[in-house]
Amino acid sequence: MAIIRDIMPAFELYQPANTDDALSLLSRHGKEAWAMAGGLDTFDWLKDRIKRPSVVVDLSQIKELTGVRPMGGGVEIGALTTLTEVVRNPTVKEKFGLLSQAAELVASPQIRNQGTLGGNVSQDARCWYYRGGWKCYRAGGNICFADTPTAINREHAILGADRCVAVNPSDTAPALIALDAQMVIRNAKGERVVNAEDYFIGPGTDIMRMTVLRPGDLLTAIRIPATWAGTHFYFEKIRDRQVWDFPLVNIASAAVFNGDQIERIRIAVNGVAAHPVRLKQVEDAVTGKPRNAATADMAGQLAVQGAEPLRYNGYKVPLMRNLVKRSIRGVEEAKWA
Amino acid sequence: MGIVEWATSPWGQDVPIHISFLLIWVAAIAGLLFLIVHAIWARYFARKEEFAGATPPQVAARIPAEVPRHSLAARMFHWIMAAAMFALLITAFLPRIGVQFAWVTYHWIAGIVLTASILFHIVHATFWMDRWSIWPDKADIEDATRRFKRAIGQAAPPPRRFAKYPLENKMYHGVIVLAGLSAVLTGVFMMFRVRTGFLPRNPYLFGDMTWGLMYVLHGLAGVGLIALIMVHVYFAIRPEKLVITKSMIFGTLAREHYLEHHDPQRWAVEGSQSARASSAD
Amino acid sequence: MAKAPDNPLPSHPRYKLIGKDYTTPDLIAKVTGRAKYAEDYRADGMLFAKLLLSPVPHGHVRNIDASEALKMPGVKAILTVDDMPKPADAMTDLGQRIPANPLGERGLTNDPVYQGEPILAVCAVDEYTAAEAIEKIKLDIERLPHVVDPLVSLRPGGANARVEGNVWLRPTAPPGQPAPPPKVTEVKWTDADFAEYKDGKLPMGKATDPEWSYGDVDGGFKNAALVLDETFVTPNTSHQTLETRTAMAYWQNGKVFVHVSTQSTAQTAPAIARWLGLLEPNGQPDLSKVVVISEYTGGGFGSKITSAISAIIPCILSKKVGAPVMMRISREEEHYIGRARPSLHGRVKVGFTKEGKVTAVDMFVVMDNGPYDPQGDANQSGRMLSLMYQPPAMRWRGITVLTNTPPRVSQSQPGGFQGIALMEPILAKASRKLGVDQVAIHRINAPVGKAPIGPPGPNGKRLYVTSAYVQEALDRGVEQFEWEKRKALPKRSGTKARGIGVATSCFVGGSVGFDGLCVIKPDGRIYIQSGIGNLGTASVSDTHRVTAELLGVPWEKCEITWGSTARNLPWSCPSGGSQTTHAHTRAAYAVALDAKDKLTQIAAKDLGGKPEDYEVANERVFRKGGGAGMSLAQAAKRAIELGGIYDGHELPKGINKMTVTSAQALMGQGLLAVARDTMPRDGQTHSYVAGFAEVEVDLETGKYRILDYLAVADVGTIIHPRALGGQVLGRSMLGIGHAIGQKWVYDQHYGLPLAKRFHHNKPPTILDAPEKMQWAALDIPDPETPIGARGIGEPPVGAGCMAILNALSDALGDEIFRRAPVTADMILASLEAGKPATEGLTAHI
Repeated sequence: MAIIRDIMPAFELYQPANTDDALSLLSRHGKEAWAMAGGLDTFDWLKDRIKRPSVVVDLSQIKELTGVRPMGGGVEIGALTTLTEVVRNPTVKEKFGLLSQAAELVASPQIRNQGTLGGNVSQDARCWYYRGGWKCYRAGGNICFADTPTAINREHAILGADRCVAVNPSDTAPALIALDAQMVIRNAKGERVVNAEDYFIGPGTDIMRMTVLRPGDLLTAIRIPATWAGTHFYFEKIRDRQVWDFPLVNIASAAVFNGDQIERIRIAVNGVAAHPVRLKQVEDAVTGKPRNAATADMAGQLAVQGAEPLRYNGYKVPLMRNLVKRSIRGVEEAKWA
Repeated sequence: MGIVEWATSPWGQDVPIHISFLLIWVAAIAGLLFLIVHAIWARYFARKEEFAGATPPQVAARIPAEVPRHSLAARMFHWIMAAAMFALLITAFLPRIGVQFAWVTYHWIAGIVLTASILFHIVHATFWMDRWSIWPDKADIEDATRRFKRAIGQAAPPPRRFAKYPLENKMYHGVIVLAGLSAVLTGVFMMFRVRTGFLPRNPYLFGDMTWGLMYVLHGLAGVGLIALIMVHVYFAIRPEKLVITKSMIFGTLAREHYLEHHDPQRWAVEGSQSARASSAD
Repeated sequence: MAKAPDNPLPSHPRYKLIGKDYTTPDLIAKVTGRAKYAEDYRADGMLFAKLLLSPVPHGHVRNIDASEALKMPGVKAILTVDDMPKPADAMTDLGQRIPANPLGERGLTNDPVYQGEPILAVCAVDEYTAAEAIEKIKLDIERLPHVVDPLVSLRPGGANARVEGNVWLRPTAPPGQPAPPPKVTEVKWTDADFAEYKDGKLPMGKATDPEWSYGDVDGGFKNAALVLDETFVTPNTSHQTLETRTAMAYWQNGKVFVHVSTQSTAQTAPAIARWLGLLEPNGQPDLSKVVVISEYTGGGFGSKITSAISAIIPCILSKKVGAPVMMRISREEEHYIGRARPSLHGRVKVGFTKEGKVTAVDMFVVMDNGPYDPQGDANQSGRMLSLMYQPPAMRWRGITVLTNTPPRVSQSQPGGFQGIALMEPILAKASRKLGVDQVAIHRINAPVGKAPIGPPGPNGKRLYVTSAYVQEALDRGVEQFEWEKRKALPKRSGTKARGIGVATSCFVGGSVGFDGLCVIKPDGRIYIQSGIGNLGTASVSDTHRVTAELLGVPWEKCEITWGSTARNLPWSCPSGGSQTTHAHTRAAYAVALDAKDKLTQIAAKDLGGKPEDYEVANERVFRKGGGAGMSLAQAAKRAIELGGIYDGHELPKGINKMTVTSAQALMGQGLLAVARDTMPRDGQTHSYVAGFAEVEVDLETGKYRILDYLAVADVGTIIHPRALGGQVLGRSMLGIGHAIGQKWVYDQHYGLPLAKRFHHNKPPTILDAPEKMQWAALDIPDPETPIGARGIGEPPVGAGCMAILNALSDALGDEIFRRAPVTADMILASLEAGKPATEGLTAHI
């Protein structure tokens, strides 16, 4: 079969108006069905005819999955809420500015207008071999083309690689982990809630998925508890271009300082592994320590322990180290005379 | 749906990538069917084994109460190999049937254990054991013919007693050697595709087609082993074979079992003439 | 030495239109979305074509089984290379023979030499059907050895990109004769040649391009106070025009009408005719058989100078199926067939006096040529370096290596950019080593006036340029950029470093010898015919302002006709190499003179006296110093009555055949002015830019921001300030893209591209533009052209790229990068390692 790309093949399109209908469609069509939120991840796959679902369930008409609602001092954000709405929401901005910052750095304004929070955290890997339609482990094959002696892997993983070295490209994911968010998942059988941290899975667990979602599952909402509301946040995204780019590495942290001391902190990094990495060890090591350069240095060093760079991504080790440092001590801004 | 899963290579060519994982179920069901059929046959249709002649009393008298069958080294090999094999099958196939866990490291470590134990076994069996005792000989073939004829009602003299291993045992060993070596040899090369820490990673050691065939062979051997091991375990726990299973634990065979099933001429114990030499006539 | 004429800044008091902003005739349609690009056209019964691209980087198609595809309802035809015209000799309009290149592109192929090369096209009722049909086609391809890295190909045992070999040999021309056609051969260097590779230094094995030199190179090095020997690698960058090279075609009465995206309207017709094999018996393209329609073009940058050979696919399909065929090119396809700039691996040894004056240059380049026609970038890099930095002695050597990557073609400042990119880091490094200011080292080496360029010609003498005011541009920049003030600022603070950089850049800025054509009609308006392509530079209308200016006609009374060769266009230059502004202000000047001649003659005939007694201004021709006269409308009416030369019944000799045909179609409608630019020019026209940049680098992340950028252009007389500013800043951004991130990425094992989409090969976005960005132009007329205007499309590229990189090395020192683009990862890894950490010589990383 000859290959042609960049033209979408035909499929059955369903546009359910409520979650129950969507779930029943997904359950009825099982593996043949593709759940589509904003379409930013989906259309690439479809246009290149690499993923060929026979049924696409477009979730964009489900109003009940959009919006930000207060919930016990925190918020519940419908999975279909656009990133722009997340950015603009005053409650999110006031209490969970970390998420606003992260969401605002996703891709470009047009993409944020269309892309959803649920889609952003559930998006597939952006490894150019995988996305190019190369039949790698993640695509059901028996090789990682990005981890070969001649591979170009500047944007790939330094941590947690297991055959596949793709990274999770989401900007909002580490912010949600730092905020200790919970993901509400529904399927035809019912609802379950998982911690943001456990929502993402590595290739060791399942090399063909990025999240715990299985066919028939739908991420319906994201709940952010009050735990870290209004605390000290740090988010930074390093990317090649200032707009319309995925992170090389990004970092999100939420911290409570007591005077000079770090009382509690949560830190998560993305772009370094197939799933956003929560730095539990670093958090434990710095809790109770003074917030100063020495603690930041120690945290940075600890964070990158065990990192295994590939041929072209060695820079990610100092980059992650420095971002972790900054998440604790902040950026030393320049003062030009 | 074939037995091989094909994929499009980066050059747009069709290359095999692995077996169809449906074969896991095919192998499991085939193994199970064999067990059921055998169990029914053994329960309702099997005749009692008859052997030609009897062991001369003076020979029998020399046989000790516990006949040594497997040396400690041989037993250790067997159980280590068995453990590795189970680890390999579990780590290989559970994730394929939906039990997700990070299996690769366990798999290749178990693979190394298996490979090492097989290497040990080859050396040990070649130089320290009666290396021919596990391979079928002329008498095995003749006796098998006799048994077959008798089973289908034709006239044939009763078969002789076995040497150290019954023919079925030898054949099983042969098949296991084939499947095991296929899995091990392909597996060793496949380790160049994962991070082991000691092998230089080079997934481009072979071309796409060669690798694909290697994965297919590995997979076929793997699913074959599912069936083979089911059968093996089944026989190990069959009541009439328990005594043999015990010998793999304790190293010895009860004298009665020995005398009933084995021919001291063909399997000499306690300093008798070598079984092979005496079985030549 | 030429002296700058009096500078009429700020606003050319003597001009009414030249130097003034105005609303271009295409603007409203563009901003309202009513402009129609090739893809926007529809024709009755139109079918669609899709391409099947080669999956392998190098191979041979043994068999195509399209039976299943052709059985599908709605599938009309397939087209393979067997349907395409064979390469044949052709003639230019000047009668020069273009020998057929047996290794050239034919649009489709059975011997693909890069992944993505079109093998066949399927024509169907819609694109979905065509795509489905393509998936049903079975290709039997024999894969051949491939190579995507020129140095890998030069290694002993390295693969060849083509069966014939891996290097283009370009024989030198015997005296007085044209050079024999280039041919492909096999060249391998030795392991010893590669000894320095591991140190990141470009190996210098056998160079096969014709070497040139002048002056005493060895002596220059001997007398140098400082000698630097540096390797630098420039990126391969796709042109990435926003409009892909879509084409739609249909035939009527044996004539093909083709809607294309092209940089040049008039020049595209003969190109299409040649590709289609529509030739006259004498071998010249038969323009009566081709109509090219292209009113708007969404960018070219050198990749669509005469559109694209892929445009003949819908032409031939349309003939085959007897219906119009639209072939929309997807972004994926555009990546493959959309052309790119060839990278140069360069090694340049430069001697400097202690004041920073260059004493000698020894330059060696390896060009990644792609698989097709040999490109001029390698040689041009040396020529432009020789002009920009005026070395008194220089040697140039090069080799043109074929690779299995998409075809290359000129891209804004082709070769010039690479030459500037190879030299500028050396100049910046020398300024630090010698303690000479960056501007000063550029100034001391800058060309002045009729500065020499390139190797000596057959007469042993070097050519020279028409003018150069680079020192003036630097001086203006120093002042406007507050260079000295910025220089005094500290370089480090907190986790940030800052730096300032300057770079100079140059390129060809004009050609001569093209035609102008206009009609003054009895309604008193001037109808100007423009064969210039509307590629976004505004030259399609800008240049004709000269005619209006000279005839004293308000712009509102000028109608420009452009965009279709069926609309009687004159022979115009190809809009490539920034030649249009120069060529067509001259042609417009020439045609204005012709109109003036005819007007004054008519006036003299009717009102008495001699033509010399009359002048033309304010829409009238009248007796000098006052008295009798007539309006242009009246003169136009008289021209029709007079006929002959006045209304186009008689045409002058020397104008191009296309112009003749067009003029004949317009005759009798008014006063017809037509002329070829035959005005003299002493020297080769070039333009220049000095770029100034300031950057701030985050030392903890490697990210840098461009705080400020200023480009000062030495481009002659300013014709249209807003368009000039657009060109200067736009092309600066093109160069800045080369500095900060734009590139190709290839997997060498499979020889396949990984970065095929915008978010992978990363052209710069608006937010990557410098936070502050300004331009200025000297507005000093070029002394060798009547209006004094030169082209500007090219030189901002090199200045934009290298001012940024020089600012980076000013901030971080010399041990950070050895190639462009310079990205955060490269900076951070090098800072961490204390030396350039990114692989220097591997291609496409």
